[in-house]
Amino acid sequence: MAGARTKPQRRQWMRGGSASMRGVLLGLVLERPGHGGDLANRMLMRLGDTWRVDTNDAYRLLEQLEREGLICSRVEPCKGSGRRPLIVYHPTAKTSQALSLWMETLLPREPVRFGLHAKLAVARAEDAPRLMVALRDYEQKCLALAKMVTPNGGAQPSWPALFMDCTREAVYTQLRAEIDWAATARQRIAEHSRRQPAPPLTPSR
Amino acid sequence: MSPLLRIGEVSKAYPDGGGFLSVFERASLDVREATHVGVYGKRRSGKSTLLRIAAGVERPDSGSVIFDGIDLATVSPRDLARMLRSRLAYIALGDWRPNPGESVAQHLALALGGHGLTVCQAERRALRELDAVGVSAADAQSPAGSLSMVDRTRVMFARALAHDPRLIVIDDPVLTPSVSERDTLYALLRGLSRERRVALLVASEDFAALQGFDVFVSISARELCSSEGNATIVPFPALSQLGSARDARSS
Repeated sequence: MAGARTKPQRRQWMRGGSASMRGVLLGLVLERPGHGGDLANRMLMRLGDTWRVDTNDAYRLLEQLEREGLICSRVEPCKGSGRRPLIVYHPTAKTSQALSLWMETLLPREPVRFGLHAKLAVARAEDAPRLMVALRDYEQKCLALAKMVTPNGGAQPSWPALFMDCTREAVYTQLRAEIDWAATARQRIAEHSRRQPAPPLTPSR
Repeated sequence: MSPLLRIGEVSKAYPDGGGFLSVFERASLDVREATHVGVYGKRRSGKSTLLRIAAGVERPDSGSVIFDGIDLATVSPRDLARMLRSRLAYIALGDWRPNPGESVAQHLALALGGHGLTVCQAERRALRELDAVGVSAADAQSPAGSLSMVDRTRVMFARALAHDPRLIVIDDPVLTPSVSERDTLYALLRGLSRERRVALLVASEDFAALQGFDVFVSISARELCSSEGNATIVPFPALSQLGSARDARSS
């Protein structure tokens, strides 16, 4: 019963928009302890550009995880130089279990293309040109990102190579869906605009 | 440095009932030397039209197509046919028309006939190119008319490569293959093109198939969108009208 009462608390760190990043940080700490900058860089490398990781966020998220006892920090001397000591994050006895729990928990889908959704929700007919530009820009960004995260596909030589490629494939597939959505939305707006009678080009006196 | 292929502000419309159906308007696209450009779009989005225009097989209503410094609008049909057997290759699966009873090797050797090669030389060259695309010497003797869609693409690719082109334009290389067949075929297209420094312009409605291309271009709503941002995108007339009307009203 005690376990059942504490369950919501255990899962507190999995709530909110940054839950996935907290989960990734747990995995990285478990993989190899590191200081904030190191972990932020590793997270950036691991997740890729599409996540738009703000390295400053990593410090805040690490502090949250430490407060929950999922990781711990120690001040350690900086190796190989006389620079100031660093705060290095290490796993605790709870880290591995928390990571496993995160792996098997279906997190609520984070908002996608939130800004565009919001704009579409309140758009007026005269906003169509602006929406078309916004959608086109979005489509262009997705195409550029897709080019950057192209997976290799096929058999991979190692486990890290395989999971990295699967991650890339996930992002690539999502970007394809975004491109399809943006293209379809543009097509629909274009067709709708064509069906509308052209407004008078000169103001009535 | 000017691109190998420059499609400049081309527009194309087809008769549709009493009016015209516009496929795209003032669409622009550059293909640089030895780069791979993948055009992604849904059915009837205008991919095939764009590729036919790029290869000079179809003329745009307006705009220009410059390949290797030559404006394709100024090229005679005869010279264009010659060009399509040399520097520029166009592959569309619908164009697969081998002569009855012809073997795969004979089909390819015949296509090489215009290069001043003897029959023996053409056959040797054909077998070499077929080997490069994964068609064995034994399979090369099988009837050309009985090939699967994937093998047809391989042979058509071998036929294109045999002419030492600088650009190969391919319209939807594989329509209904398995994922592994698709990946193998695209890896072959990309690998051999990189090896021989040939530029590729490939259209597909399967975005996953275009993995590994240097530039992605999507086509929809009569516009081209490029991952490099070099494809010109213009607002379509209805929106310009809306903008003009709004401006006029506010003035």
